[in-house]
Amino acid sequence: MTAKDALTERYQDLLSVYLKVKTETTLYKGQQFSRKLLEQQISPEDLVSLHIQVMDQLFPDMSEEMRDSFDFLLEAMIGYGFAYREHQSLRDKQQQLESEIEVAASMQQTLLVSDVPGFDQLDIGVVSVPAKKMNGDYYNFVKSGNSLSVAVADIIGKGIPAALCMSMIKYAMDSLPEEQMKPHLLLENLNRVVEQNVHSNMFITMFHGVYEPESHKFHYAGAGHEPGFFYNAKEDEFHDLIAKGLVLGVSRTTTYHPYEKLIEVGDMIILLSDGVTECRTSKGFIEREEVVSLIRKNMDLPSQKIVENVFQELDRLQGFELRDDFTLIILKRLV
Amino acid sequence: MDIQSCVEVRNEWDIVSARQLGRNMAKELGFGNVDQARITTAISELARNIYLYAGRGKICIEPIDQLGRKGLRIVALDNGPGIREIRKVMEDGYTTSGGLGAGLPGVKRLMDEFSIESTVDVGTEISATKWLR
Amino acid sequence: MNLQINQDQINETYELKLTGEVDAYTAPKLKEVMLPLTDKEGNIVIVDLSGIEYMDSTGLGIFVGALKSSKANNSSLKLRGMTERVKRIFEITGLTEVMDIESGVKGEAL
Repeated sequence: MTAKDALTERYQDLLSVYLKVKTETTLYKGQQFSRKLLEQQISPEDLVSLHIQVMDQLFPDMSEEMRDSFDFLLEAMIGYGFAYREHQSLRDKQQQLESEIEVAASMQQTLLVSDVPGFDQLDIGVVSVPAKKMNGDYYNFVKSGNSLSVAVADIIGKGIPAALCMSMIKYAMDSLPEEQMKPHLLLENLNRVVEQNVHSNMFITMFHGVYEPESHKFHYAGAGHEPGFFYNAKEDEFHDLIAKGLVLGVSRTTTYHPYEKLIEVGDMIILLSDGVTECRTSKGFIEREEVVSLIRKNMDLPSQKIVENVFQELDRLQGFELRDDFTLIILKRLV
Repeated sequence: MDIQSCVEVRNEWDIVSARQLGRNMAKELGFGNVDQARITTAISELARNIYLYAGRGKICIEPIDQLGRKGLRIVALDNGPGIREIRKVMEDGYTTSGGLGAGLPGVKRLMDEFSIESTVDVGTEISATKWLR
Repeated sequence: MNLQINQDQINETYELKLTGEVDAYTAPKLKEVMLPLTDKEGNIVIVDLSGIEYMDSTGLGIFVGALKSSKANNSSLKLRGMTERVKRIFEITGLTEVMDIESGVKGEAL
């Protein structure tokens, strides 16, 4: 007996039982049977044809009109068959795309991973979590000479185009002689590269800073990036870390303003991407003050623990569904 | 009946004539009711395309026999504008018909063999075959 | 996830009233409407954002594109009626310094 005959027989059994005794059990069995049919890739019109066949067997005296009505139903089902088959095909395509994205995402991981460097004076904590498979946030630490430079950037657009853009920044940054660079000059350089190379609706926000251990000075500049925070240990106060500047990629001639801050023992520099302040809970947007109070709550822990705890709490508040890539970096001066 | 039969497609009524021709030939060859419906629908879709995009053309249907294997071949011909991006038109999800899985990919799946040739400003020829099971 | 665009025109002045959200889903629709307007020399495009409750960075990107287009094609682009939340993202990104943004109260004359 072929597979098709077996199915026909089974369908006939189920249908005749149901017609004799209309129980919920049999209806349920009928529904389960349709799973089998789908597994065998039986299309909607095949099922109608199966029904006709079985009805012919069970009711050889079936009225002509009844019989004809099934033929009509068969024709009408063809349309559903089209949609069903397209759906199958699209699902296969989607699976293929998913696996390609996996590959791209893991390539990105490898290419762009930035180790958190050990640095004598500073306790550094980093958390960077993508909303989708590919991360549109970029952060980079570079140790050169005695200094430590840190950059955070957010590429506008999400997903694959954003991540591709990021690779471009990384390579541009890697090839600029950073030691000589002041953050505001680096941004000016980068702005020119970005402006020439991205789509007119894309732009990049970025913050870049360099910490010099001898002077304990932090030089920084910003290009339209979400302001971070600065914690002043002596005053026990958090302030916004403002670094005004136009986002990268809008105008070729943009210039950036150099800022600097003296970092005392116990002070913290907190950098973030707007995925942190764009958190939306059932009650509305997370306010910056709430982020600060979360940091304050965890303040005495090592930097890595602070960022992880803050992330977990915000993740929880959002129902574990990130709207945007989330990056949070804390640098605490220890000695 | 070994000769090919053709229907000129110039208006919507001709779509029905083409269907009728297809159904009769399919029945005669011994195709079951589901396959008859599939063949007829494939003819509909191809005839509709001619009517909508080329204005006029023809659908030819012929029984075929290859080493004992019997089947039905449909050929849709027109001298219309041609298809600029065949690859796109054969992709699922790309549609000018409202996205219900119809279109050429749909026709391809209804039949067993499918081929398409088209030249811009010259015309299009689509051939599809269904074998008797 | 919904955006309504009401368009009014007097000669070369176009006023677009936006209602809803400008985000990744609705941004393409806005772009389709705005770009042909800013692309044409001499056009004055005024966008009223008082009905916009939320805009994300994709939405902002559309305005960046419109800004570039108006600069390149000699048209004029004005934004007005922003809520605090929306104004904030234009401020942080520095766009308030390079774009014509009116901080007017609703109901103010053109």
